Parts: sequence; structure tokens; C-alpha cells
Amino acid sequence: MATQQSQSIQTLLEAEKEAAKVVQQARQFRVQKLKDARTQATKEIEEYRRSKEQEFKAFEASHAGNTQSASVAIDKETDVKRKEITAQYNKSKDQVVKKLLDRVVLVKPELHRNLKKVEA
Amino acid sequence: MANRPLNDDEVINEMNKMVAFIKQEALEKAREIKVKADEEFAIEKAKLVKQEQQAIDVHFEKKRKGAETAQKIAQSTLTNKSRLKLLQQREEHLQDLFEVARSQILDLAAQDGRYVQFLEGVVVQGLLSLMEPSATVRARAKDEELVKKAVASSQKQYQEISGRAIKVDVEPSLSNASAGGVVLISGTGRITIDNTLDERLRLLEDRMLPEIRYDLFGANENRKFFN
Repeated sequence: MATQQSQSIQTLLEAEKEAAKVVQQARQFRVQKLKDARTQATKEIEEYRRSKEQEFKAFEASHAGNTQSASVAIDKETDVKRKEITAQYNKSKDQVVKKLLDRVVLVKPELHRNLKKVEA
Repeated sequence: MANRPLNDDEVINEMNKMVAFIKQEALEKAREIKVKADEEFAIEKAKLVKQEQQAIDVHFEKKRKGAETAQKIAQSTLTNKSRLKLLQQREEHLQDLFEVARSQILDLAAQDGRYVQFLEGVVVQGLLSLMEPSATVRARAKDEELVKKAVASSQKQYQEISGRAIKVDVEPSLSNASAGGVVLISGTGRITIDNTLDERLRLLEDRMLPEIRYDLFGANENRKFFN
């Protein structure tokens, strides 16, 4: 009878041990899951960063292209305008030189406006 | 429930029941833990990812703005350079024009009639500015005779206009390299009026700039105020 009792108790104790093991495993599973969360998150973040980086590089490349073409366009425009300026100049320069020279010799002597002629 | 002590079979039965119960509890607890673990996993992962994604977005937004600003700056620099080139071109032409004028001025003194009239006018103008009792007129050596004649008539004109008399000396002290015209000096030697052709041209070059701009290059489209 006593052996039977102690056997029963033994069985129960073993069952408890098994139970505790099962629970312990579940806890370990949880801990591992949290670690996994971290590592997976890091991986996803890295992928996201990489894709954003590529996006940005594409944007940069397109803008560098823009600047180049803009520069060429502006240079062309500038040349056209310069030629216009020279053409305009050549058309009017003789006339302006004549104007200048005419005025060099143009004199209109006047008495200062604050003065009065002295009558003899 | 039996009040008598249990026999062997019943004991075993009860034992098994208890063992099963313990096992069952353990399994349920384990399941709970696992379910919670999965939830926490998902939440934690989402939180971390979202956090970092936001940071990354901010970072790249900044970079993008920087690149845009750089582009605007580059564009503005190009436009500015272009404008400067155009202005430079105009300035070159202007200087060229003045060069031509300066060389043609030398021919003015050769046209006698006009030149004499000019000399007279210029002397009268000088005398009227000086308003002194006496003055000296400096001229080129080759103009000495012309200037003396001009001075005589100028003194008369001066008398007519101002009612005053003035004593004038003529000095042939200007270099022959000058284009023509005279320099007047007051009697005390302290006031000088430079009425040479070179000086007058120089003054005109400066004063006539707005008019020259209009004649050579047309009006300025961007100008708003004219008073």
C-alpha cells in the first residue's frame, strides 16, 4: 500500500515535470520569436532602404541630364542674342558716331541764369 | 464519490485522470504563450519596420530637397552667366564706337568754317562761365592764328551777352597731339575750363549713355521707371 502511494506520487511528480517542460518550451519559443522579429525587421528595413536609395539615384541621374541639356540650350540662346546685338549695333553705329561728333562741336553760350546783363 | 478506500483499478483510473489533467493544463498554457508570442512578434516587427521606414523617408526627402536646390542654383548660375555675356558684348561694342569717334574727332579741326565757329562758341562759353576780369586761352600751336581771331570775336559776343568786358591772352601751349579746342584759365590762374575736343567728347561719352543705349540697342524692356 505504501509503495503504491509512493508510486502514485512519483507518477504525479513526473507528470508535473513534463508539464513544466512543455511550458518552458513555449516560453523559449516566445523568446525566439521576439529575436526573429528583430532580425526580420532589420532585413525588411534594409530592403526598403535599398529601394529608396535606388529611387533617389534615378532621380539624381535624371536631374543631371536636365542640367546638361539646359546648359546647352542656354548657350545656344546666348549666341543667338549676341549675334542680334552685333547686328543691331552695326546698323546704328554710324548714326550714333555722327550724333556724338555733332554734339562735340555744338556750343550754345548762355549767361548763367542767376546773373543779369550789365547795362552800360 | 466512494466512501470506502479505492481498489487498485480505481486508483489507477484516478491517477490517469490526474496525469491527463496536468498534461492538458500544460498544453493549454503552452498554446496561450505561443499565440501571444505570435502576436507580439507581429507587433514588434511592424513597429520596428515602421519606425525605421519613417527615418529613412525623412532622410531621403532631405537629400531630394538638397538635390533640387542644387539644380535651381545651377540653373540660376547659367542664366546669370548668359546675361553677363550679353552685357559684355554690348560693352565691347560701346568701346569700339568710342574708339571710332575718338579717331574721327581729329578730322573735325580740319573743317575750317565749322571749326572756327566752334572755337568762337567755346571761348564765349568759357568766358561766361569764368565771369572774370581777365583770362588766358591756351590753344594748340597750329591753331594760334585761328584762335586769336576767334577770341577777338568772342570778346565782342561776351560783351553783348553779359554787358561786361574781359581781357584775354592767347597762349599756344597745348600739345599738337590734342584734337583741337581750347583751355581757358582765369586771370588768377586758379580756375580752369577744359574745352578741348577730347575733353568734350569724353564728357559726352558719359552723359549720352542713355541715349546711346537707346539708339544702339533699343529700349530696355525690363525698365519700369523713367522719371
